[in-house]
Order: sequence, then structure tokens, then C-alpha cells
Amino acid sequence: MDALGIDLSRLLTFLVGFTIIAVFLRMFLYGPITRMLDQRADRIRDSLEAAENARAEAASSAERVEQELANARREGQELIAEARDAASRLRDQEAERTRAQVDEMLDRAREEIRRERAAAVEEVRREFAGIAILAAERIVEQSLDEDAHRELIDRVLEEGLDARNN
Amino acid sequence: MLSSPKGVAIAVILLAVAVISVVGGALGAAFGGGFLGGPVPHLQVPSELVTYIGDYALYNTVVMFIAAIVVLVLLAWLATRKISEVPSRWQSLMELLYEFFIGLAESTSGKAGRIFIPVATAIFLVVLFSNWLGVLPVVGNIGRVETTSEFFFHKFEGKAESEGYAEVLDGLHHDVGKKGEGMGAYLASHADVEEVKKLVGKTFETYGEQDFVVFDGEGVRLLPFGRGNDYKLSLVDVVAYDVADPTHPTSEEVVKIAGRIDESVAPDSLPNTEFFSENPDKYPSLVGKRAGILVPYLRGSSTDLNMTLAIAIFAMVSVQFWGIKTLGIGGYWDKFIGNPFKRNPIDLFVGVLELVGEFIKIVSFTFRLFGNMFAGEILLIAMGFLFPLIGMIPFIGLELFVGFIQAIIFSVLTLMFGAFAIMPHHHPEGDHHGAEEGH
Repeated sequence: MDALGIDLSRLLTFLVGFTIIAVFLRMFLYGPITRMLDQRADRIRDSLEAAENARAEAASSAERVEQELANARREGQELIAEARDAASRLRDQEAERTRAQVDEMLDRAREEIRRERAAAVEEVRREFAGIAILAAERIVEQSLDEDAHRELIDRVLEEGLDARNN
Repeated sequence: MLSSPKGVAIAVILLAVAVISVVGGALGAAFGGGFLGGPVPHLQVPSELVTYIGDYALYNTVVMFIAAIVVLVLLAWLATRKISEVPSRWQSLMELLYEFFIGLAESTSGKAGRIFIPVATAIFLVVLFSNWLGVLPVVGNIGRVETTSEFFFHKFEGKAESEGYAEVLDGLHHDVGKKGEGMGAYLASHADVEEVKKLVGKTFETYGEQDFVVFDGEGVRLLPFGRGNDYKLSLVDVVAYDVADPTHPTSEEVVKIAGRIDESVAPDSLPNTEFFSENPDKYPSLVGKRAGILVPYLRGSSTDLNMTLAIAIFAMVSVQFWGIKTLGIGGYWDKFIGNPFKRNPIDLFVGVLELVGEFIKIVSFTFRLFGNMFAGEILLIAMGFLFPLIGMIPFIGLELFVGFIQAIIFSVLTLMFGAFAIMPHHHPEGDHHGAEEGH
């Protein structure tokens, strides 16, 4: 021990000195530093969680936007289809009406034509009757009971017209 | 480097310095060079006394230990001065340290490992700065000259203490005090006492070959450059050169020695001028010089066994404390011996070995650190001898590295021993069955 220089006074000096500095470092270096390390770890954990939340929220809101867009698109499509339907319906109605008008006009025209023709036929028959009477007068050169003949002629004409019409 | 004139100049200067340091160093001394070689410095394992503060003996290693503590307080202040989540440089350096140890502790012991951190890191920091401060250039070179009288007094006192001569010790302290003034007078007046004669002999037996350095008369307080061994004498050469057998002196011889010892007491008197003047042929350059040992004011505190032992004790006491705190006193005891009658003999033997091992760990801690740092100090001195100007430079780097490694080893080993200590004792199941079947 003597040759190694170990003696109690120095040993105690170092032991006490080391204890003091160890306690000092525990209080004024280890304490604050580890507190700060833990605090920072907590802060980082919180930030990560917050970031995760924000990310999830962003993802869900993106999804919502997507859905809205899809809805809007669908609604648009529906509107367009509806409009197209309405338009086609309108066109059909219009066409229908036009056709009806045309039919009506055609009917009227046909009526007109028939009337005209009837009038014309009447005219022609009248003329023809006159002409026929005239012709018959000329043929027989005799005065005939005009009324009786006329009746006869009418009948004949009637028959003749019916035959033609049929 | 050699492409520019500046580079060439630097290379030439470096080469010149290298050549000068080789020629001027101890290697060159054999061929008539050695003009830079200093005297052999005084080397000893025990730390050296610097002065007394009241009754307290202040040793040079204690001075450096206090310096290390001051540096650590400064470091703690720098690191926590503006502590914030965005760390300053010092703070992040310390965080790096603590994170390293926390990571290590938690990887071995989980959350429970946190209890090791304050002690392990304190050991790391104290050992690291003790080691590093010990490498500083002024450490070990600047000191006071311990005169022959002081030197002899201390060694004589030490011998009296270790031999258990309490009466002699009391008389010595009464007559001489603590600083060794009047040692010669004490010896002269007690030359007839058998114990004193014996102690003088024993002092020469142990320290007779102790190197004394011869300084200039002015009392140089810096280890001087000189001519190597020419400036070196042993204790016997200085005070007992004409005594036939210094290890067994007669009363007359003790008186003779005593007279020479006291010559060096007065600060302005030159020691042993008689010897130097009587032997001018042997030591021509020593005439009129002062002999003694250079006691450095500063010496790396980890080169003191007391310091390494103190930290080792602290570490191992902490380890026991952790073990008992975690496992309870019974649980911890169970790791070693438990109930000796219920344990099988092999387990019991191993347990006893482990218990002894706890004490051996103190010794291994103590001598590992001391050995490394003391050897480093000697290595630096040796390099200063061989290549005075540049020899130390690479080895200072090496010593800084060794100091760091030793600090890591000490602290990490403490942590590991702690991790083992808090592990509960595992009873191998097979053993119990085997023991029961045996009955």
C-alpha cells in the first residue's frame, strides 16, 4: 500500500470529490438534459400524431370531394338526360301537332276538292242534262213533257254516276 | 505539397526539426549529441505532495482532480445554460452522450436501465476529463524542487508508519513537523536509537537508487533541458556516497548522513557541495548544483491509485445498491449464495466465486485505469527523451484516444455490471428435480 501510494486521506478526498461531482451532474446535467430529451420525444410523438391526423383528415376530405364530384356529375348527367327527354317529347308533340294540322288541312282540302268536284259534277250534269235534252229534242224533234223526261234523265244519270263511282 | 516553394520550405523545416530532435535526443546522446536531452524525470507510483493547507496534505493528483471537477461544472453550465428543444452545440454534445448511455442501458435492461445512467455518465465524464487534463503539456513538467531533506523525511516517515514504529513517528512529528525541515538535526540527535538506525537503513534499501535530479543553484522549477544522465544521481550518491553499507548504517554514519541531509534545507544553500567538490572528476558539470526531485504541481488524477480506487469503489457500491434495490436484499443475496444448505455444491461454489468476483472487479477497475494512464504518462516522457521536439506529438493524440477509450470502458463496464446485478437469479429447473430425486 505504501509503495502504491494508497492512503486513506487521499482515497476519501477522491471519494468525496467524486460523490459531489456525481450528485452535481445528476442534478444539473443529467436532470435537465434527460427532461429535455423526453420532452422532445413527446413533442415529436405529438407532432407525428397530429400529422397522421391531418393526413387522415385530408384523405377523408379528398374522398368527400370526390364523392361530391361524382354526385354532381351524376346529377348533371340526369339533368342532361331529362333535358334530352323533354326536348324529344316536345319535338314529338310538335310533330304530332303539325301532323294533325297537316291532316286537318288535308281533310279540309279534300273536302274542298270534293265539294268543288260535286259542284262541278252538278254543273256538268246540269249542262249535260240540258245538252242531252237538247240532243233528244233534236233527235225526236218533238215536244216532250220536259219534266217527265228530266226525271228520266236524272235517273239515268244517277245510275250512270253510281256505276262510275262504284 | 512539394509543388510549391512554400511546401518545400515547410518540408525542409519539418525534416530539420526531425533530425535535430533525433540527434539532440537520447539516441543522439550515444554519439556525442543529446544536447536537448533533459535529466531523467522523477517517476513514482504514489502521487506527490504539493503543499499543506492547514493540516490537509494537498497532492498534485488532487489538484488535477479539482481541475477536472471545475471543467465538468463549466461543461454542465455550458450545456444547460440556454437549454431548449432546439439544442445549442454544448447541449447537443451532452445529449449525444446521454442518448448513447440511455440507448445502451435500455438495450440491456429495458426501462429499468435508466437508474444506471447518472452514475455511468458521471464516471465517464470524470474519468475522461481526468485523463485528458493529464495529457496537457504543463502537467508533470512544472513543479517545485523537493530537497534531499524533505525527500528523506517523507520516506523515513513512510517507513516508520509501515513498520509500526509509533514512538519514532511521534518523536519525528514533534521535532520535525510536516515539511521535513530539520530532518538532519533529528537524525543526528537520534543516531543512537536502534529503531532510527534501522529505519534509515530501510529507507536506503527501498529508495537508495531513487534518481535525484541536479538542478542549477538558482532552484529551477521547470524540468530543464540538459545532458541526460550526466545530471542524474541516486539518493546514495547524494548523501551516503562514502558509507560502506547504507542499508545497515552505524551511528557515526547516520550522523554523517544527517549532516549532508540538512545542508539542503536552507533554500539558498547548495546540497552536498562537499560531495560535488570532492568528486570533480566524476561529475565535473555538477559542481555547485542543487540536487533533489522535481515534484510536479500537476499530475493527471487518473495516474493516482487512490483516484481510480475511489471511483472503482463508488462504481461497485452503486452496482450492489442497484441489485439490492431491484431484487430486494434476499433476491440479490440469492444470486450469490442464497441458502447454502439448499443449494447444490457446484452452485454454491460458483456463488462464492461470484461474490469474491465483486471485490476483484474493484481491483481490476482500479488497476486497468491506473495502468493505462500511468503507462501513457511514462510513454510521453520516454518520447520526450528519445525525440525531444516532435516525439510527443503523435503520442499525445494516442493518449487522448486511450483516455477516451478508458473512460468508455470504465463507464460501460459499470453499466454492464449493473445490468447483471438487476437480473434475477435463475434457478435451473433440472437441478431441483435432480436434487429431489437424489434424496
